[in-house]
Amino acid sequence: MEHILSILIFFPAFAAAIAFVVDKDSIRTYGIVVTLIEFIISCYLWAGFDNTNGGLQFSEFIPVITAYGINYNLGVDGISLFLVILTTFMTMISIIGLTETRQLKNLIITVLFLEMTMVGVFVSLDAIIFYLFWELSLVPMLYIVGAWGGNLRIYASIKFFLYTFTGSLVMLVGMLYLGYVYYQTTGTWSFALQDWNMLLMPYDMQMWLFVAFFLGFAIKVPMVPFHTWLPYAHGQAPTIGSVILAAVLLKMGTYGFIRFSLPLFPDASVAMMIPMAVLGVIAIIYTAMVAYAQEDMKQVVAYSSVSHMGVIILGTFALNVEGIGGSIFLMISHGIVSGALFMLVGVIYDRRHTKMINEFGGLASVMPNYATIFGIMLMASVGLPLTIGFVGEFLSLLGFFKVSPFITILAGLTIILGAIYMLVLYKKSFFGPITNDKNKDLKDLNGKELAGLIPLVMLVVYLGVYPKPVLEPVNTSVKQLVQIMHLKAITPEAKAKIAEVNSIGEAK
Amino acid sequence: MIQPISIDLASLNLASLVPMLIAVGGALLILCIDLANKNLHKSMYVMLTILFLLIDLGSVIGYSGAVRGFFDVMLMDGIAILAQIILLVGSGLFILLALSKKKFNEYRYPEYFALFLFMTAGFQFMVASDNLILIFVGLETASMSLYAMIAMHNRDKSTEAAIKYFTMGALAAAFFAFGSMIFYALTGSVELGQISQSLTASNFENYPVILAGVIFMLAALGFKLTLVPFQIWAPDVYEGSSSAMAGYISIVPKIAVFVVALRFFEIFVGTNNAWVDAILYGVVVITMTLANIIALVQTDVKRMLAYSSISHAGFVMATILIGTTQATQGLFLYWTLFTFTNLGAFAMLWVNRTKHDHGFSSDHSFEKFSGMVKRSPVGASIMGLFMLSNAGIPPFALFWGKMYIIGSVVNAGYIVLALIMALNSAVAVYYYLKLIVYMFLKDPLPEDRMEYLGNANNPLKTVIGISAVVTIASIVFIQPILDIVSYYVQISGF
Repeated sequence: MEHILSILIFFPAFAAAIAFVVDKDSIRTYGIVVTLIEFIISCYLWAGFDNTNGGLQFSEFIPVITAYGINYNLGVDGISLFLVILTTFMTMISIIGLTETRQLKNLIITVLFLEMTMVGVFVSLDAIIFYLFWELSLVPMLYIVGAWGGNLRIYASIKFFLYTFTGSLVMLVGMLYLGYVYYQTTGTWSFALQDWNMLLMPYDMQMWLFVAFFLGFAIKVPMVPFHTWLPYAHGQAPTIGSVILAAVLLKMGTYGFIRFSLPLFPDASVAMMIPMAVLGVIAIIYTAMVAYAQEDMKQVVAYSSVSHMGVIILGTFALNVEGIGGSIFLMISHGIVSGALFMLVGVIYDRRHTKMINEFGGLASVMPNYATIFGIMLMASVGLPLTIGFVGEFLSLLGFFKVSPFITILAGLTIILGAIYMLVLYKKSFFGPITNDKNKDLKDLNGKELAGLIPLVMLVVYLGVYPKPVLEPVNTSVKQLVQIMHLKAITPEAKAKIAEVNSIGEAK
Repeated sequence: MIQPISIDLASLNLASLVPMLIAVGGALLILCIDLANKNLHKSMYVMLTILFLLIDLGSVIGYSGAVRGFFDVMLMDGIAILAQIILLVGSGLFILLALSKKKFNEYRYPEYFALFLFMTAGFQFMVASDNLILIFVGLETASMSLYAMIAMHNRDKSTEAAIKYFTMGALAAAFFAFGSMIFYALTGSVELGQISQSLTASNFENYPVILAGVIFMLAALGFKLTLVPFQIWAPDVYEGSSSAMAGYISIVPKIAVFVVALRFFEIFVGTNNAWVDAILYGVVVITMTLANIIALVQTDVKRMLAYSSISHAGFVMATILIGTTQATQGLFLYWTLFTFTNLGAFAMLWVNRTKHDHGFSSDHSFEKFSGMVKRSPVGASIMGLFMLSNAGIPPFALFWGKMYIIGSVVNAGYIVLALIMALNSAVAVYYYLKLIVYMFLKDPLPEDRMEYLGNANNPLKTVIGISAVVTIASIVFIQPILDIVSYYVQISGF
């Protein structure tokens, strides 16, 4: 278990590099096997993970640029553990369910490189190394959207790249400044999060740095008003691109908030609770309405993603164990559910080459299995109790209820609005008589698709009924995070606020 | 009657002249060989040039004499040595590109290689002196050779480029002479060290005159560094010269001039010269921004790269504005990495130079690279790699340079400048992506319209390979490079 995190990061990259040799007819199996091995390694990581320890585990440390305090510094805790597993799992599922045939070899190699960057983001503890993987993840995604996407693919991919790149450059300036602050305070250079976490900063500086990091993360999440790249990217991306984008890439932003913004700038985070929550609520309500108005199935799912990301932000900025823990759980459940929904839309797109809702109707009678799985995923997306979506959404809202009941009630509309647009989508395309002759002979799910979707269905139900295996390690780490915030807050008001919002249950 | 001057030969420290003399001697030897035998192949001259550059490099690295030499006009301090190392390595990699598969006019002349070595010596004199007159002589030696070498490419556009470069260069030389004259009139010296002393001693009196001198010098140096508004010549000259030559112009002359600028502006930076700071600040911001914006609309890759290197020069100029030790280290780190990345990018253009391609708007139009990944995947990936590095995507080489420079700007308290630089990088990424989009995302051209890598052979591929390896694996080179850079920067007190 010594270097398991490095293995997790670089195994896919190495596999991708040697995949150039593999014949293109065998590349799909190769991709499945590699991602399966990667998934097994990540499960092995989970098996070795100490649930009672909220700190960082499996740490690795190699000096890279000592003169400037940049080190290859890895570690995993309850917050990142499940995001890593989600990454390896969803990458595997997306390759299993892959139906793309054009330039398959390039696609699989790209996905494997992308997997490296995604795992790297979640386990890096050095800001610069984090930034390195963060930016590098844009390149394979650019290629996936741009090369295998729809008609507007080039526009969509460049928009995606420029948007996120701009935001993260501002964040880079923030990181460099923070490194300098650390140097001024201690006399040594360091970009390690563990070191930064010991840094007490004046309120104004915290606010400025919070804004710099906010730009980087918020564009990635994406939060309203920075979400406009997402519908394009999703709309044009091939199925595998959408799945990975929704399931993992978006989580990088919310993960960044939890990993960087909260512990580094506790006072600023407390001050920004309400503004962030308002942005979250706007995202929830506004994009849910937009989703209702869409005529394209994929756009409905894309906007519903933005809407759910609003709930995650809300939970994160509740600043209590329930809220943050719930938002992390919601990240995982949203990853699984939205990934599944995008795959399902991909299934119908492969058969009919259209995603327009009005082209369909009565699908349930010709594709019963498909309709069933779609229905389950839809319920999970809405947040039906006993599905995976309910747990995270409930905990996030519960967490924020302590902060502001009013905002929480507004945010609770997510369940109602979500039910409206999802059920309308379902009704229009699956129920009623078959109105379009082209739909009469559609084939139900084939083995490849079932192999991808059934594990997701099982997870949705299993974790919906029994979320404890995930929630427990998450909560242990989150508790520690909240304690750090409480300790580090420099203004008494912020200290009091953190203590107050954490007084629901077991917290201090 | 004039007193006889008697000088001890040892006090001249002739060792400080040895590196330049090696280059000059090599050039003369090449001319002599040509006199004896006219039928020698270019490969022999290339290899001879490489040998002389290597010996030159050895004598620079091994230099252990006094810092001052030859009537105190030579100044072999750490920065001089560092800059010579960069420019000799850059020159060596560049001259290897002459071993192209296709035949080109200029390589038929041995004089080309002689001029090349003269030019190298000129640049070496520039960086190894703080005497404005010797710098001027070095600058002119190098520039004259360069003008001739551009013209030897022997196409209409090359002649145009050479003449354009020459006329503008003459103007810049005049500015340099004028600026030097003003400082001589003010301080009675042409040595930067003494100019600095007497200006500080007099507390910068006659400020308007000093400012005029600064502006003349900035114009002269800015011309070579392609700082806006003195950059007009650059895209045309790049387009007119061969790609290899364009890559060279974007790297080697600039590091020499950067060193001169560093020595010159050192007088003013950090002495609360609000006006000089403001002028430099303006030039840095305008150079980066304007060049980036113009680069967005280029339809030719070479012109795009020309504007991109203008913008890079503006970016690096920020380090001279900051003037801290870390910034100076950043300058050399950046330029070392930039040398490999940009050389690689121009070399990729060079290997794609073919003679039978018709129906394109220019030599290296974006269109030519459409769908290159399907026809030449490795070529496209490597070109993409250099573009990503230029754009500052981690972990490729230039990201580290960018990060280090932005870091030094932040540390010096110029947060706004740092943000401007960061946002400029975001603008720049668009035009680098444009090439990637063409190569990776567009449909390929029919076979007969474009032959990729037509000019490639093993030596060229080796150069590109070296550049690519340095660019990819830069993360492991940063610490060693920084160690070397900070050693040399610190011993020369910048």
